Amino acid sequence: MFDLVKLGDNAFYSMTIILFLTGFWIMLSHSNLIKKIIGMNIMESAIFLFFVVIGYISGGTASILGRDDVRYINPLPSALILTGIVVSVSVTAFALALVVKLYQHYGTVDVEEIARIRRNEE
Amino acid sequence: MILEHASPLLVVIPLMTAYSILLLGPKAWRYARVASLVSTASLVVLSLTIAYQVSHHGPVVYHFGNWEPPWGIEFLIDRISAFFLLIVSSISFLTLLFGYGILFKEIKEQVIGYYYALFLILLASLLGITSTNDLFNVFVFLEISSVSAAALVAVNGNKLAIEASVKYLVLSTLGSGWVLLAIASLYMVTGYLNLTYIASALPQAFADYPLNVLATLGLFMVGLTVKSALYPLHVWLPDAHGSAPTSSSAILSALVVKVYIIIFLKLVFRVFTLDFISLVPLQFSLLLMSTLGIFLGSLLAIRQTDIKKMLAYSTVAQIGYVFLGIGLFTYNGLMGALLHILNHAVMKAMLFLSAGLMIKLTGRRRINTLNGIGRVYPLPMIAFSLGALAMVGIPPLNGFISKWYLGLGALDGDQPFYVMVILVSSFLNGLYYLPIVINGFFGADAKLDQVHPIPIGAKIALISLSVATVAFGLFSNIVVQYLAPAVQQWFIL
Repeated sequence: MFDLVKLGDNAFYSMTIILFLTGFWIMLSHSNLIKKIIGMNIMESAIFLFFVVIGYISGGTASILGRDDVRYINPLPSALILTGIVVSVSVTAFALALVVKLYQHYGTVDVEEIARIRRNEE
Repeated sequence: MILEHASPLLVVIPLMTAYSILLLGPKAWRYARVASLVSTASLVVLSLTIAYQVSHHGPVVYHFGNWEPPWGIEFLIDRISAFFLLIVSSISFLTLLFGYGILFKEIKEQVIGYYYALFLILLASLLGITSTNDLFNVFVFLEISSVSAAALVAVNGNKLAIEASVKYLVLSTLGSGWVLLAIASLYMVTGYLNLTYIASALPQAFADYPLNVLATLGLFMVGLTVKSALYPLHVWLPDAHGSAPTSSSAILSALVVKVYIIIFLKLVFRVFTLDFISLVPLQFSLLLMSTLGIFLGSLLAIRQTDIKKMLAYSTVAQIGYVFLGIGLFTYNGLMGALLHILNHAVMKAMLFLSAGLMIKLTGRRRINTLNGIGRVYPLPMIAFSLGALAMVGIPPLNGFISKWYLGLGALDGDQPFYVMVILVSSFLNGLYYLPIVINGFFGADAKLDQVHPIPIGAKIALISLSVATVAFGLFSNIVVQYLAPAVQQWFIL
């Protein structure tokens, strides 16, 4: 049975799934390249959030040693995702640069429009 | 001393060369091609020594900063990684040697330095993916390879190439996203990122969280097959490989799509292991997708009028062969897949380079305008014919050996249907390769206005690739013996 309480307990995970699917849907359904790249970003952010949530404990704090009375969260996923974010920024920058070039050639950023222009040329 | 650090040097040398080229700026660019040739030549030497070490003293292990795993990042090079390292470094060396005289004319003058830098960064990421034993490291190298490969396609700035590059970048980022999600859920249930440790923690994790582990395998499968262009996830490949500059196409087709197969192999055989694989329909889906890929890749290749586009579709079919060998899950099948990784790298690099050379020399790229070229420029056409015959699988050449092993693997796995698949698809290969060869030598006159000399670097590269095509056919037992211990240990049941 669909367990709402369990879903509430895992609210972060549910949120990542919703974000992931939103991003994926935008990537698939929009023909505007800028929107596609935004969708790609949303999808990647969802994955990053998922990765960070793995290390999170509710009520936990940053892992600074020397305090015995508190629970630490796992810092490794956060540290790794910092790298992931940097990678995603550079991919986005490169993708946008390519889209600018495409716009200069075709005067549009819509893939369907571009496909039509190409068909007419042939 | 230096041998101890040989495995990180595989990544450091190309990266450092690339950044020095960028830092020194356009004035130093005329030295860029010499610098990249020297650095790839040193990579060939390094991977040879590593391959020797692996065969005599077992896997080469390197802990970065002396941090022991599971905390530190580990490089682990076994026989299969060493084998692939050697393929990557030698094919890229030969491609650069080929480019020594001809590449300058194909790439715009103002971006030539960037081109070499991107080429070396891509090379560093390929070598890194092959050597590393750490999953997050795999992801970082994956992203480096996606960006640099997409940039190598778009480097000339013509609109077809840019469009192909956008498509390639978006789909390959999608693939990396799936892989990262898979890495996250594997880390979630096992607590490790090191492949060896994940492998030891996985049985318990599967008992506790079966759904997570199953989802992980699915995500890895989809993510990696998008990036290695297994049918029906190949849609980006023909445009990207067909519209890229010749040397990029050669590297992308011969090496880049294969590196993801190497990760896939590591994951399936070392981490998930065969016991687990038998629980999921992985074999069925791999065999289905590869069979469709083999047939539809070849059928689409027959329809092409542009020679490079045809070679790109042929890559889709050949990737199907590699996955077919893996999907059979038998000793001979996997050996065939590994041999085909090597043989296809040699053949496809040679085909792309000779086709690119003919395009450059004659200015023609449609298949029906290439009649009679073989009488004017014998060397590239002979190399092309040799590659074409090897693709079809004519016995003394290397393509025959991998198909032979794939066939044996299919029989071992009690699936003779796939022997038929291999045979029929060889006829299809013949249908689109042989007309080019026959018309190239015996067709009407080419009617060329002028005949250009072929640069010496291109000659050496094409001759060495031709020799390799014949040699790996005649002396394939050396490769088989080298790989046998690694493949055998996965099939002890």
